[in-house]
Amino acid sequence: MNDSSSVLLPQGLPAAWDTVTAALVSPSTPPPVTDESVSEALTLLCKKGLVQYVEGWLLETLQVSLASSVAPEFWAGLQQPEGESQERDRARALLEAFRTLLQRLQPFLCGLERLGSWQDEGRAGLLGPGAHGLRERAFSIIRAILLFSPPPVLQQRVLEFYSRTFSVYMSQLGEQIEPDDVAAESDGNDVCTGCAAAPQVCWCQDALEQLQEFSHILSRLQLLERVSSEAVTNILHRLIEQRMEQRCRGEYERSFLSDFNDWLEQVLGWLSRVFASEVGEASTSSLPTEGKLDYVGSTILQRWRCHMQQFFCRIYVNMRIEELFSIIRDFPESTPAVEDLKFCLERTNQRQQLLTSLKSAFETRLLHPGVHTSDIITVYISAIKALRELDPSMVILQVACQPIRKYLRTREDTVRQIVASLTGDTEGCSELASELSRADPVTLETQDSEDEGSDPEEWTPDPTDALTDKTGSKRRSSDIISLLVSIFGSKEIFIDEYKTVLADRLLHQLNYNTAREIRNVELLKLRFGESHMHYCEVMLKDVADSRRINTNVHEEEARLPEEEQPPVPLSAMILSSEFWPQLKEEKLELPAAVSKSMETYTHRFEKLKAMRTLSWKPHLGSVTLDVELEDRTLTNLSVSPIHAAIILHFQDKGTWALEELSGVLGVPQELLRRKLALWQQHGVLQEESPGRYSVLEKASSRERPDRGIMLIDSDEEGDSNTTTQSEQREEKLQLFWAYIQAMLTNLESMTLERIHSMLRMFVATGPSVTEMDVNELQAFLQKKVRDHQLIVSAGVYRLPKTTQ
Amino acid sequence: MKVKIKQWHGVASWLWVANDENCGICRAPFNGCCPDCKVPGDDCPLVWGQCSHCFHMHCILKWLNSQQVQQQCPMCRQEWKFKEGETT
Repeated sequence: MNDSSSVLLPQGLPAAWDTVTAALVSPSTPPPVTDESVSEALTLLCKKGLVQYVEGWLLETLQVSLASSVAPEFWAGLQQPEGESQERDRARALLEAFRTLLQRLQPFLCGLERLGSWQDEGRAGLLGPGAHGLRERAFSIIRAILLFSPPPVLQQRVLEFYSRTFSVYMSQLGEQIEPDDVAAESDGNDVCTGCAAAPQVCWCQDALEQLQEFSHILSRLQLLERVSSEAVTNILHRLIEQRMEQRCRGEYERSFLSDFNDWLEQVLGWLSRVFASEVGEASTSSLPTEGKLDYVGSTILQRWRCHMQQFFCRIYVNMRIEELFSIIRDFPESTPAVEDLKFCLERTNQRQQLLTSLKSAFETRLLHPGVHTSDIITVYISAIKALRELDPSMVILQVACQPIRKYLRTREDTVRQIVASLTGDTEGCSELASELSRADPVTLETQDSEDEGSDPEEWTPDPTDALTDKTGSKRRSSDIISLLVSIFGSKEIFIDEYKTVLADRLLHQLNYNTAREIRNVELLKLRFGESHMHYCEVMLKDVADSRRINTNVHEEEARLPEEEQPPVPLSAMILSSEFWPQLKEEKLELPAAVSKSMETYTHRFEKLKAMRTLSWKPHLGSVTLDVELEDRTLTNLSVSPIHAAIILHFQDKGTWALEELSGVLGVPQELLRRKLALWQQHGVLQEESPGRYSVLEKASSRERPDRGIMLIDSDEEGDSNTTTQSEQREEKLQLFWAYIQAMLTNLESMTLERIHSMLRMFVATGPSVTEMDVNELQAFLQKKVRDHQLIVSAGVYRLPKTTQ
Repeated sequence: MKVKIKQWHGVASWLWVANDENCGICRAPFNGCCPDCKVPGDDCPLVWGQCSHCFHMHCILKWLNSQQVQQQCPMCRQEWKFKEGETT
């Protein structure tokens, strides 16, 4: 071989170059030069040391031809149907452009292939990167020149094309993708759901075939990732968002995760077509209905799947974060949404966002004066329930609900509401009552104890957003009642309130039936501990004792002859005053008959219980009576003692002046006027002239009762018999006033904190100083300032000069 | 007009007829109970001495048990004797 080539050598060099280059770039598939002559030419070039330039020349040629003719032609072809709006034509043009591109580049690709195979074989000492390396280089040149700065039209077209094929694909799977769009376009006409064209010109099948070819060309040119990724990403994101908007928004009672996964599988079916050639060569013939390609192993699809899942989670979490308030409000029904959110939140690291958003949602939607306290409590309870599902570490609960707890502390009726719903008083809020009667209650004592018996191996660190407070995770309780009680820091305040509520109820019903109260007290005992409920037990025992005493007294009375019977049938609720909350003191002079009955009753009691006597609270209790008028009878009216006293006086004397009656009853006129309203409302009394009331014996002469008067009294019916919580606190703080005055006299001026700590130090023996917090003290001092008993300036309190 | 009262439910609180508010031994109110008791009234009665001082029964018994030599009223140091017929 060497010999023969040496003959050709001198004059054959240009010819040999031509032979080789022609073999590399010949457009026709069968090479015009035989393999043998090419080999000879190569050897010649090799000898002259020129063979390494072949590679360079080929790539250079490719580059030049790309830049000068192929790329411009491609872009021109792409933009060709300029003014036309037919989507179908645009798709065709897109495909056509790529087809041409491939055609133009084909010769170079073949040449490269060839050169590469020569290099691989090491023919004629040819060295180089080999077929694979050459291809890589050529393709980077193509990508560099063609797509260095592609005009937006490419992305538009590709996006459009993919969207269309996607909807075609999905419609063939029997799913409607964009119902809005389709509906808008069709205007009720019969339109193919896939290509949105009239049925006779439906090009669904075409589109799918085009997709096939398009993917094929792109993958041949190794442009698939480059050209498609962005478009595909866009489409998928848009679709996921759209789908989410349509299906999930506002819908909390269904889980969407598995739904989404099914849908994702379908979408992956389409993706496998987009990336068909890279997924597997064999798939070219498969029909969409045969669908399930073996793409699972494919890394590209795997990547897309991950990407989409990630994206879905993010979008979903975003949406649910916005809606979290409503989800919480609907909680037991919205459990599926909470579970979905929990799943997604674990994957997206958006806790911080969730916290901030939820906090501000609470603040704007819940914590303002327009919301009823019981509603706030209800939402708080559902938040506890929902968030403990969402985040078992309770950190979200703790952090997000901080504002609620703070706010509830400022509402005066919070404690009363909580206690009322604990005992099942309010209709709306039965949750707390059932929570209270739950089988396995958390005692508030054991909660604080250090050791919860949990295995140290199971310890997990707090999430990073946990509050760095003193006690750590152990304190983060999820028990609704303990959370509510801990709003105020101490349970004493609740127990006091419960005492008040219980007292009220016992004094209102007066039928000695305490089964429900006993149950409540027993349940509360499990929570708050025996010792704290002791007062309530005494109260209930008083009721039972009262009933026994009543029976006793009545039996004795029954043995008396008719004329010695007391004029008024009286039964009494006898209280152990030390154990009941302070009762409102009101003055009321009862009619003689009633006081006489009370005296008799007292005597009998004194006989029954040596050395003990009774002190009556004339204004408390209730009276059942009948009123007989000339033409009508009101039976079984249940009124308060003052009402009864009023009407008894009218029995003796038909007309009373207000001041006269007020003198007899010992009740201020204003209050009396309001109480008279009840009888006016019943049509028994009338105000014949201002300040003069008389009995209406005949209904016919009765005027329409004044509406306004009715309302005045009905407001008062529900009044509590006990002094309110705040009044009691006020009284307690009043005790400290002397201390504060003394301190300020000695030290001249003090800050709020100083006063508070001094009080804590010196008045430690007092009954309630430990539960007095700074805010309360501040409010108290502010009040003193308003009353001009104290001066405050720059945060420092002092006594006014004159009082010193 | 005639008013017929069918039932009058009154409210009253009971109290000891004693000449003091608080028990001289435990300083708790008579109407409450001694520190060892939970329920006032029948379960924690008062007793009167012949010197007319009175205490929670449990308190004075405890006091008397702790006195070795002579049993005196803690208030007036007279010999303690229960007043007849006054205990419940």
